[in-house]
Amino acid sequence: MADSIDPSQGFARRVLRDTFARTSARIGLAWITLLLLFAVFAPFLANSHPLLISQGGQLSSPLLAHLSPGDVALLGAFLLGVGLAFVSKLSWIKRIALYVIAVLAISITANLFITPPKLTIYEQYREAQKIERYDWVIRAPIPYSPRDYQRDEGDTGLEQPLAAEQRRHWMGTEANGADLFSRMIHASRIALGIGFVATGIAMFIGVIIGGLMGYFSGWVDMVGMRLVEIFEAVPTLFLLLTFVAFFGRSLYIMMVIIGITSWSGYARYIRAEFLRLRQQEYVQAAIACGLPLRSILFRHMLPNGIAPILVAASFGVASAILAEAVLSFLGLGLVDEPSWGQMLNQAVQSSSFYWWMAFFPGGAIFFTVFAYNLMGEALRDAIDPHTHNGG
Amino acid sequence: MQSYILRRLLLMIPTLLGITVVVFSVMAAAPGGISAQSLIEGQNLEPAAKRAMEEYYNRRYGLNQPAPVQYLLWLNNISPLGFELNQDNELVDFGFKGSDLGTSFLYGRSVSELLAERVPITVLLNLLSIPIIYLISITIGVYAATHRGKMFDTGTGITMMALWSVPTMLAGVLLIGFFASEQYWRWFPTGGLSERSAQDMPFLPHWSDWGDIAVLFALMAAGVVLFSQLSLRLARRPRVVLMAIIGAALAYWMAVSVAGGFGIGGTVLMMLTLAGVGSAIGVTDFQGLRTFLMGFTGVVVATVLAFGVMQGEFVRGFLFDRLWHLALPLLCLTYTGFAFLAKLTRSSVLENLQADYARTARAKGVGESDVLWQHVFRNSLIPLITVSASLIPSLLAGSVIVESIFSIDGMGKLAVEAVQGRDREMVLSITLISGLLTLVSYILADVLYALVDPRVSYD
Repeated sequence: MADSIDPSQGFARRVLRDTFARTSARIGLAWITLLLLFAVFAPFLANSHPLLISQGGQLSSPLLAHLSPGDVALLGAFLLGVGLAFVSKLSWIKRIALYVIAVLAISITANLFITPPKLTIYEQYREAQKIERYDWVIRAPIPYSPRDYQRDEGDTGLEQPLAAEQRRHWMGTEANGADLFSRMIHASRIALGIGFVATGIAMFIGVIIGGLMGYFSGWVDMVGMRLVEIFEAVPTLFLLLTFVAFFGRSLYIMMVIIGITSWSGYARYIRAEFLRLRQQEYVQAAIACGLPLRSILFRHMLPNGIAPILVAASFGVASAILAEAVLSFLGLGLVDEPSWGQMLNQAVQSSSFYWWMAFFPGGAIFFTVFAYNLMGEALRDAIDPHTHNGG
Repeated sequence: MQSYILRRLLLMIPTLLGITVVVFSVMAAAPGGISAQSLIEGQNLEPAAKRAMEEYYNRRYGLNQPAPVQYLLWLNNISPLGFELNQDNELVDFGFKGSDLGTSFLYGRSVSELLAERVPITVLLNLLSIPIIYLISITIGVYAATHRGKMFDTGTGITMMALWSVPTMLAGVLLIGFFASEQYWRWFPTGGLSERSAQDMPFLPHWSDWGDIAVLFALMAAGVVLFSQLSLRLARRPRVVLMAIIGAALAYWMAVSVAGGFGIGGTVLMMLTLAGVGSAIGVTDFQGLRTFLMGFTGVVVATVLAFGVMQGEFVRGFLFDRLWHLALPLLCLTYTGFAFLAKLTRSSVLENLQADYARTARAKGVGESDVLWQHVFRNSLIPLITVSASLIPSLLAGSVIVESIFSIDGMGKLAVEAVQGRDREMVLSITLISGLLTLVSYILADVLYALVDPRVSYD
């Protein structure tokens, strides 16, 4: 592997290349990309509102009219991200800054100007189609919204995949009669969102506390380590349960809580790195120059100590997704938002087993966690000097 | 060493206090929090009775006082050294007293009594899991490391990574759905730790007919001998074919025995899957593991045959009943642990195999197996021991899920019920107990670390 190290390339680029040279990491990345596409285009993939209808010569698109500000913001953020990735003139920092500002602007304008109708009647399109009121109609690939419980079809409840002839449910229906595939697609948003945001929060807290502990050592370290120990010794799942049970259920609270309860690992890693780095000459030089603490910690030390954190973050995303799934599974998750864990919960009810409710959502959780773990492992091997020397 | 342990034990106290403070402040800061009103909310009571209940709760737990005072009151209640409370709830007589974990809001029983019932069950589950985890992970990890890059290594590498990623609740739901529900194969009980009737059973299994025992043991012995000999003597190809046929036959029998059937597609898929598993067992070079797994297959086949032949009555006995109930929960609780530890063992052994001292040992003519077991293995144990500390918290978290799925009345299930019912005393006590178990396991790991590695000293 020694010949692959080219000094002209940056460390980050080499690590990324080594990571994704592995098939396993590529498979993981492919799955996450697929999920990302599902999450962004969920309303276009699975929706009860038709994409385009022609009624008496007039065209209209109920789907676009019913897009929520969140849908639009997500779509805008995705397109912008893809666009910016191809603009190679700007530096990384500028691109990220530009991206964050633009995404904020998009979400604010979307929230201000987009007001979908409050009342949604999913059945009207099916009924209108039955009595042939439309000239023609283009529907989404899966013509069911995640919360379309299909009351017009009678009380269907749990139904095997492809059981009914007129309605095509590729993955069957869940307990309330909504299409499972549609719910799965929309739930990928929660899974990805929880993973990224919760890990981001945990990393942020962990880096700050761990960084201060490592940099100052002494009594700050002593107090910080006790704090880390406390958060490590409270069983995370238990603390999460307590938080959610007492604070109510909201996606954002859940993200914050998973973040707050899982920072201790990052703090440990960063502390160990900083304890080592603080003795190095360049850090001593930075201190001697009288640079502010913020600059020493985040501009000089952090870039050199970030590697183990990234590996931990990849595994952390996996465990954040798992944590959300466990909470939803135990009945402490979101109430009406579709979530994989909550769907999995419906698989075994009063000694009956509904295999499709276990296989599809459970499989989705498994593949997502597996994908992040594969990428994390590949990243660890790419960073670890031991494996580089063929050891 | 003793002073080190003592110091660590003393340091546990502030940490434990910190843990309870964190959990307590979460509960106190919650919107609505815990007040006497919230506790009796939803109960249909006369106004007078309501007021009496409120007053009772306020007096008993000091719920009308500010949160820090409530916490101190709770602390005073649980600590063996503190103030006695008199009739009017005033603090009198500082000194030693009995410690009291309080009364559960939810169950109306004393918390310590409830915990005394529930904690041993969770501890039993964990104590049984740990040796299983270590046995499997060391077996697989050491072999994978010594045969690096071979089929077994890559195969188990991917399998372990996949197993590690399987969410516990998915495994639990699938196991309970397929192997414990009426719809498919009712091989295992759906939940609990023992059947009610098992209380009256003798401890060991019983047969009414001595001949049955003879038949059972003869068949089992024959099965073990036959299959282990097949594993040892047969060449790889016939072995794989044999195991694939056995797997496919088993799958066919399973598919046919389900009432609704699976249809042709489902049956073929199942046969292919189990044939794949069978041939995977047959194809491994790891003779010991292969012989064990094939011998196990032999025992299972023999037992099924024996139970078909046996005439007399069979009482499975308390022990067997308990094991039968524990099988699926233990499987759920162990697989993530051994998957993770097997990978760790592999990398640790691999690192030590390339160390200078291993090369020196080889250079002076020590045999490869002696290098492995006498030199390398002992050093590879060190990371396994340090990790054992983090095993306990993850097992405790796992038992929350496993106990909820398999409805085992242990501490994990109690924890879920307690937080859902906003049962403050119970939540705090469980926090205390699980925090204590976790911290003790940390100390144990550090002590073991010093025992295994003479370079480590805490003095």
